[in-house]
Amino acid sequence: MIEVEGLSITSAAGPILRDVRLHVAAGERLGVVGESGSGKTLLAMSLMGMVPDGLHVTGSIRIDGAEMGGADEAAWRRLRARRVAMIFQEPMSALNPLRRVGDTVAEPLIRHLGLSPRAARDKALALFEETGILGPERRLSQYPHQLSGGQRQRVLIALALACDPELLIADEPTTALDANVALRITRLLVRLARERRMGLLFISHDLAAVSRTTERLMVMYGGDVVETGATAEVLRAPAHPYTVGLLAARPSLAAHGKRRLPTIPGSVPPPQELPRGCRFSGRCGQEIARCADERPQPVATAPGSWAACHLLRARAKGAGA
Amino acid sequence: MSGLLAVEAVTRRYRLPRLSLFRPAPMLTAVREVSFTLDTGQTLGIVGESGSGKSTLARLVMGFEAPDAGRVVFDGQDLAQLSPAAMRRARRGFQMVFQDPFGSLDQRRRVGWSIAEPLRAQGLGGDHGRAVAQALEQVGLRAEHAGRFPHEFSGGQRQRIAIARAVITRPRLLVADEAVSALDVSVQAQILNLLMDLQDDLGLAILFISHDLAVVSSICDHVLVMREGQVLERGPVGDVLTRPTQDYTRTLLAAAALED
Repeated sequence: MIEVEGLSITSAAGPILRDVRLHVAAGERLGVVGESGSGKTLLAMSLMGMVPDGLHVTGSIRIDGAEMGGADEAAWRRLRARRVAMIFQEPMSALNPLRRVGDTVAEPLIRHLGLSPRAARDKALALFEETGILGPERRLSQYPHQLSGGQRQRVLIALALACDPELLIADEPTTALDANVALRITRLLVRLARERRMGLLFISHDLAAVSRTTERLMVMYGGDVVETGATAEVLRAPAHPYTVGLLAARPSLAAHGKRRLPTIPGSVPPPQELPRGCRFSGRCGQEIARCADERPQPVATAPGSWAACHLLRARAKGAGA
Repeated sequence: MSGLLAVEAVTRRYRLPRLSLFRPAPMLTAVREVSFTLDTGQTLGIVGESGSGKSTLARLVMGFEAPDAGRVVFDGQDLAQLSPAAMRRARRGFQMVFQDPFGSLDQRRRVGWSIAEPLRAQGLGGDHGRAVAQALEQVGLRAEHAGRFPHEFSGGQRQRIAIARAVITRPRLLVADEAVSALDVSVQAQILNLLMDLQDDLGLAILFISHDLAVVSSICDHVLVMREGQVLERGPVGDVLTRPTQDYTRTLLAAAALED
């Protein structure tokens, strides 16, 4: 239902997203994991046709069969909300503080779907019920500041669902929320994807949230997808050195006392200083000669899984010989 | 033995805005009869969500505000009983690191100036160049970084600068309020290791406030779980995490667990 092939985004200083490939079918839940500077948010924006001015986008984005690569703003506007919708980290800033939340949710129903105000209100109420908003009838006439963070995020989800999108992009939707609220929001997203047969692209730096929300996982570093596969499988047996390092650096619930954590040396370089070849070279610790200059191609690690690393290719060849 | 820091049955209430002219303003009890002790070289985790009272507790320990009941005793001294001059001297002994290093550093000042700030607050004159250089090296930065501005550093480096500022007075207690929450995983690991190294080198006691049980499990000896101003459960971190007695603690565990 959404298929991305060879998606690259380049700024004046150089490429900031390189050759991204992904697909999300109806009802599928794909996680995108990465740290600051990985390009994960830019990827989400590009799937909404909202890449900032001054960046050059190439590649194919097929949404529901329609090629959106190179599409103009008018074409994206027809698609947004109805086919693809997005929710963000900060539910407060995404809602108009001066409007009742019921009106905010009813507006696209009137504008895009041509519903009467009465019918739009009924649909908004149904959406509030579906997204588990407490006291939905009463909430319709409240303002954002009267709601808790978790309830606001549910309103945003209701708004995103208003025109029955086929893909929901959630960019760090739980980062600003308390743990138990975040837990309930991720459960809600999983339920909605199942019941509506809606695709979910769940972007987060929180591996625990991604692990309980998604079936497949994409790991990004420096604008490249470095590894992808079944979520449980990637977390159990990561193949790319960056994924290995990221999982090792993650504090463990089972530590039970002071324990030094394995670290990835250094920090993510600014985009213009990223190595041309493997983006992770310079921090990897296992490099071979070609890593800095030659871009590694994906190597299959399991059915439907791959990692882009020269070491894996060398190892695969060694095993085959 | 009461430990380096003893918090004894502290309660802190706030007056909320009046809802009616004819009724007294409602009160919110942010912290209710919380007690604990913390020894040199030990790390105590305070876990809870927004509204649990954990940040109020940090402010009470730092002496930024006084409890309505109970006492905060640091190194044998009841903070509420100290004269302003004695309080200023006592402050050398305890420092704080916050969540957002960008917000807590003056953007227009070179970081060396910010790092020396606690020394100036002690009434000590001079440019403190030697002390700043030493503090920078202690947190894994270089002496020449003192001349740069906050925007020239990454998020992890800025948190190192905030930690340098906290250790420049050679404190015995460090209060870290969500100090690693805003950092990426790989940077977070570096900062957690730094805090453990500094604890070993300086014999610091650390009060580590966090909502993330996985982080707490990796850096704390003991943990105290708070909700709505009260202590729900407490104990050695291994005991609380393997045998939680409260549903709330189980929820926090579920939120931090990797599922497979």
